[in-house]
Amino acid sequence: MLLGLEGEATDAEVVRAVLAGDVERYAVLVRRYRDRFARYAARMLGSRDVAEDAVQDALVRAFDRLADCREPDKFAGWLFLILRNRCFAERRRHRREGRLSEDAAEALAAPERSDGAMERREQARELELALGQLTPEQREAFVLKHVAGMPYEEIAQLTGATVASLKMRMHRAYDRLRELMKEYR
Amino acid sequence: MKTFDLRVKQLLDGDLSLADLPPELRAEGEAALRLLAAVDRTPVTLSPALDARVMAVVRQHATKSPAQRAWRWLNTPRDLELRLRVRPWTVWAGALAAAAALALLLGRAAPAPVPGVQARGGTHDSVLVRFVLYAPGAHRVAVAGTFNQWDRGAALLVPAGTSGVWTTTLALPIGQHQYAFVVDGARWVSDPGAPAVDDGFGRRNSVVAVTAQGAHL
Repeated sequence: MLLGLEGEATDAEVVRAVLAGDVERYAVLVRRYRDRFARYAARMLGSRDVAEDAVQDALVRAFDRLADCREPDKFAGWLFLILRNRCFAERRRHRREGRLSEDAAEALAAPERSDGAMERREQARELELALGQLTPEQREAFVLKHVAGMPYEEIAQLTGATVASLKMRMHRAYDRLRELMKEYR
Repeated sequence: MKTFDLRVKQLLDGDLSLADLPPELRAEGEAALRLLAAVDRTPVTLSPALDARVMAVVRQHATKSPAQRAWRWLNTPRDLELRLRVRPWTVWAGALAAAAALALLLGRAAPAPVPGVQARGGTHDSVLVRFVLYAPGAHRVAVAGTFNQWDRGAALLVPAGTSGVWTTTLALPIGQHQYAFVVDGARWVSDPGAPAVDDGFGRRNSVVAVTAQGAHL
């Protein structure tokens, strides 16, 4: 089958073409997924710049390990797991270095909020800082559920965790956020 | 620590509405919902230059030989975190056990033939490797791996009568390969007779090393 438009090619077809030597076809997957997971990475890492590095690394790493992608039709989920591992490693590193700081929350929250509503902006900033205090697993559950708007079943499919354990993580996250955010103490 | 009532958490999960809460919990529920209202859901768009940067690196990596790629993989710094909680005496016991294991290994004869994978002659670039899986009740068994781009339909195993044993022989290029069996087109099964490595994403791949002398697990 000939595929003229990149939109018609499935992930599996593109993966097989790249593995067969057509390296340039990988650009299709880069275009397809670069922004799809950007919000996840930005909210996990608290900074758009760090998120951009993470997405870039994940895309390169996925290319390097493309031959290990057992189910090319599930490339998106596989790429997400690579990015997820990268985000978790980055957060652990930042935590060790004590760099989950106010700067990160500022970098993410401030430039995107131009509505002038100081109170909402302050709340968003406070929430971003509080999210930075959660464990990576709790923060991920919160980001996927309340930022990306995914149902628990979909999150379970993506991360490999059970719905019950995701709910437990999330409920602990709610309690921790309540503890951290002054308005809810 | 002051915690949310379980029903308030269910409200935040979207399983309950504010009206489902008893009157004494409504104020707590409203405050909790304000917390979610502060969530920033603005889409994040990355720099347009990202595509070009990724493709530039990808092109570089694609032109490297397998040896260069292996060296880069070995030489790339990675974060490793080890958390150990041990009693001091176990460190000495572990060191003694490791020394004993090393002494045993050094004194061992050549490795015995392996049950899951066996090798015989091939060309000078490849070796015939026999894959065997005991899968009683299976309707279809395939082997997929790095040697066939994990294609689930490329290498089917043949049942040996009604014994439940499935086999196939493939010519594999010299090198290290990762693989797994695919039972009935959906279930991934690692080779019970071969060592396995984590593929980095929570699954186990079996490993076979093919040399001019044969296949080694």
